[in-house]
Amino acid sequence: MTTLPAVSELLALERVTVSLGRQSFGPFTLSIRPGEQVAILGPSGAGKSTLLKLLARELMPTSGQAHFDQRPLSDWSLADLSRRRAILPQSHEVAFGLPVELVIGLGRVARTYDSNLNSIVQQAAGQACAMHLLGRRFDTLSGGEKARVHMARVFAQLWDAEQGLLLVDEPLAALDPGLQFELMDAINTFASRRGHAILAILHDINQALQGFERLILIKHGKLVGDYQTSHVSLSLLEALYGVCLVCATTDEGELIVAPSLKRNVPA
Amino acid sequence: MSYVFNKQDENTPSSRRTFLGRMGAAVTVVCLPQLAFGNEAGKKTARRIVSVGGGLTEILYALGAEKELVGVDTTSLYPQAATKLPSVGYARALSSEGILALSPTLVIATEDAGPPAVLRQIVTAGVPVSVLSANDKFEGVIERVRHVGALIEQTTRASQLEAQLKQDWQRARAPILARKTSAPRVLFILSHSPAQIMVGGRKTSADAMIAYAGARNAVDGFDGFKPLTPEAVIAAQPDIVLFTEQGMSVVGGMDGALKLPGLAQTPAGQKRRIVAFEAMFMLGFGPRLPQALSALDQALSNAMQS
Amino acid sequence: MARTICGLPQQFASQPAWLLSLLLLLGIWAATAMGAVTVTWQDWLAVLQSSDQPLSGSAYVLWHLRLPRILFAVLIGATLALSGALAQGLFRNPLADPGLLGVTSGAACAAALTIVLLASSGIDVPVALRYWLLPTTAFAGAVAVCFILDTVARWLTADSIAGLLLAGIALNALAAAVIGLCTYLATDEQLRTLSFWTLGSLAGANWTLVGALLATLMLAFWALKQLTHTMNALALGEAAAAHVGVDVRALRVRVIMLVALLSGFAVAWCGMIGFIGLVAPHIVRLLVGPDQRRLAPLAMLVGAMLLLLADTAARTVAIPAEIPVGIFTALLGAPFFLVLLARMRRGV
Repeated sequence: MTTLPAVSELLALERVTVSLGRQSFGPFTLSIRPGEQVAILGPSGAGKSTLLKLLARELMPTSGQAHFDQRPLSDWSLADLSRRRAILPQSHEVAFGLPVELVIGLGRVARTYDSNLNSIVQQAAGQACAMHLLGRRFDTLSGGEKARVHMARVFAQLWDAEQGLLLVDEPLAALDPGLQFELMDAINTFASRRGHAILAILHDINQALQGFERLILIKHGKLVGDYQTSHVSLSLLEALYGVCLVCATTDEGELIVAPSLKRNVPA
Repeated sequence: MSYVFNKQDENTPSSRRTFLGRMGAAVTVVCLPQLAFGNEAGKKTARRIVSVGGGLTEILYALGAEKELVGVDTTSLYPQAATKLPSVGYARALSSEGILALSPTLVIATEDAGPPAVLRQIVTAGVPVSVLSANDKFEGVIERVRHVGALIEQTTRASQLEAQLKQDWQRARAPILARKTSAPRVLFILSHSPAQIMVGGRKTSADAMIAYAGARNAVDGFDGFKPLTPEAVIAAQPDIVLFTEQGMSVVGGMDGALKLPGLAQTPAGQKRRIVAFEAMFMLGFGPRLPQALSALDQALSNAMQS
Repeated sequence: MARTICGLPQQFASQPAWLLSLLLLLGIWAATAMGAVTVTWQDWLAVLQSSDQPLSGSAYVLWHLRLPRILFAVLIGATLALSGALAQGLFRNPLADPGLLGVTSGAACAAALTIVLLASSGIDVPVALRYWLLPTTAFAGAVAVCFILDTVARWLTADSIAGLLLAGIALNALAAAVIGLCTYLATDEQLRTLSFWTLGSLAGANWTLVGALLATLMLAFWALKQLTHTMNALALGEAAAAHVGVDVRALRVRVIMLVALLSGFAVAWCGMIGFIGLVAPHIVRLLVGPDQRRLAPLAMLVGAMLLLLADTAARTVAIPAEIPVGIFTALLGAPFFLVLLARMRRGV
């Protein structure tokens, strides 16, 4: 595993474990540098979401150390933390049918005085391709539209921050391919301009291979691999998911991976 | 025992109420009407009475005070003329402003009257409120007749009524006391709604009436009214079931009454011995008590012979 | 920004606070003219002159009975509506209200226990104390329920609103059982007092109560200004609210205490008056949307107006008698709510 100088670490986990009922996860040891784009891959139930909750401070470690920007994660106040890291949920309902601009503005609710709120809400909505949704009630939106509004909320939250962290939980799984591409692009643009790191849980192997520079592999509640994308081999992924994969390269040199229908599962 | 709400009971911090303090400590029922609400001139005018309680209204009529009566509650159903008077509503949910609007000089009420805050407000407004105890005994009726007679300054008529009542009472009680047959077991059922059916235990007005009629209350394991359970009804083995007419219609008349759970397994249910009287007549403990006793005695005797 | 349902005039949507306040003032003015006793302008003059002369006749009724009663109805209406709005926001559930939480029945339960246990213990309480005893225990009951609620819910599932709601349902059932037991054990005389609690009535109004309630409500309103903004974030869910920087646990404790204070006070002095806490926030949500910052104060105005209307009807429909106010809150609240619901369905 890569060991990096401590100074440049944005987020670092050191032998962190967590117990949920009878299940225990970890130990996880990993670090994220500012501006990095990392995907977390693994089969369902492997503990991806648990890892994300640890990083988000939604779960407190049972043992081990978690640091965010050189300070123990538990020392951060929720309000301070919210100015540096944001979480884009998998899918999310909002109670009462709040108006869209209010939902987006909630990204900045921890700031007591926020004079630029309206203009930031407008710009964040623009960045998330949600301009046309302003003025509507959240509960009248379609699934894709709701995803855009939540994205705009997250953008608003980290709009004026630098070198923050964006945690993304399978945000686009249920959306059509065109929209997936558009929104992933929006996230990348937003994050790279401000030096935010992205840590995303993904189901789509191709999306991970194409859009992320580093892959973290999780299986049975353990970290089983942490690689630069270019170093990931097909057999690693086959072992991770327990299926046979085939790959093809397009004329432009893009790699496409898909489950094989002909070959048997490797032992 | 009866008592009168006194002005000193009320804490009156507002400056608007300072006048109450000057009224002094010795404000009695007798002198209050002169200072009463709506009586600005201060001179003695016609007495205006609000009566809360059917039995009290009957006494007021019996004492010839019907001209002074300006309002009654929903239980004042007898005599018929009383139902024509303005109704101050349910005795437990009175309205202070509503009662004061009738410009009364005296409010006579049973212990049921309330809420307490409303009674206090009426007293504070300068109208005396006399709360008469609900003693469900013949002596209680006599006591209330005397008390009401004193309140409306009709002591002579009250004495006459008292003598008449005592005479009627002895006439009603004499055959019962002389009787040698064993006392029938009587179960009293009270119901305000089909879902709420209660039986009368000890220390209820129904228990007193049953005893006066020479019968035995079929339930004697508890005080007051308790919900009816089929097993308790069967265990009580009543010879006769006693209803109020209002309760009888709630459960669906004679047929509905016979279908009450458990009743079919009792002598009363098997022989269809069910008796009903108008509630205020039988349980009002007003001046009609002797007649009510005679009527109940008659009905119980008839039922046992059938 | 907030959208309104179709068909409402635009200025109503933009300035509802002013319009509602104006309507409420008009309502208060109209209510002072209504009642069993006829009140004239001379009575107003007598009331306004600060002379030492004792008030008499209709002026007495106006100052000592009708005015405090009207203001009491307005303040209790606002109190019930505010506690309802806060509970709904906290539980992300438009059907949540202090009744659902068990707060109301907790207060009534404490009152019932006091009535029955005090009598059987044989302790003779002085008359002056008796006047304050039941309201105090009822309020204590509301606060106790809230504390139990919070502890149990945290112990069951940390920071979960579903756990809190389930604990509320359990406490409700427990309180209902205790009240039922008290009713069974009570003597006829005690039942009379218990019935006041279950019927609900504003008949006990006086200036002292109006003052105390006004102070409570102002305190709550001040606390509210700091809460409503972050309360909006609860609509995202507890996890997401924490992600955007809201200390959910602290917020929850503060809102719960506020709800306990408001509904405990209302139950203590007026018994159980239903529908206002549920309907008033609903009506406001349909008019101006769910933003807590506008919802809470406007719900207070609407609640005040609803209870004023209901109580004025209760006072005047059957003069000189009075009809339980709960009947009118249901009669007024339920159809109004249904009409608005139907309009919203068409409008959106």
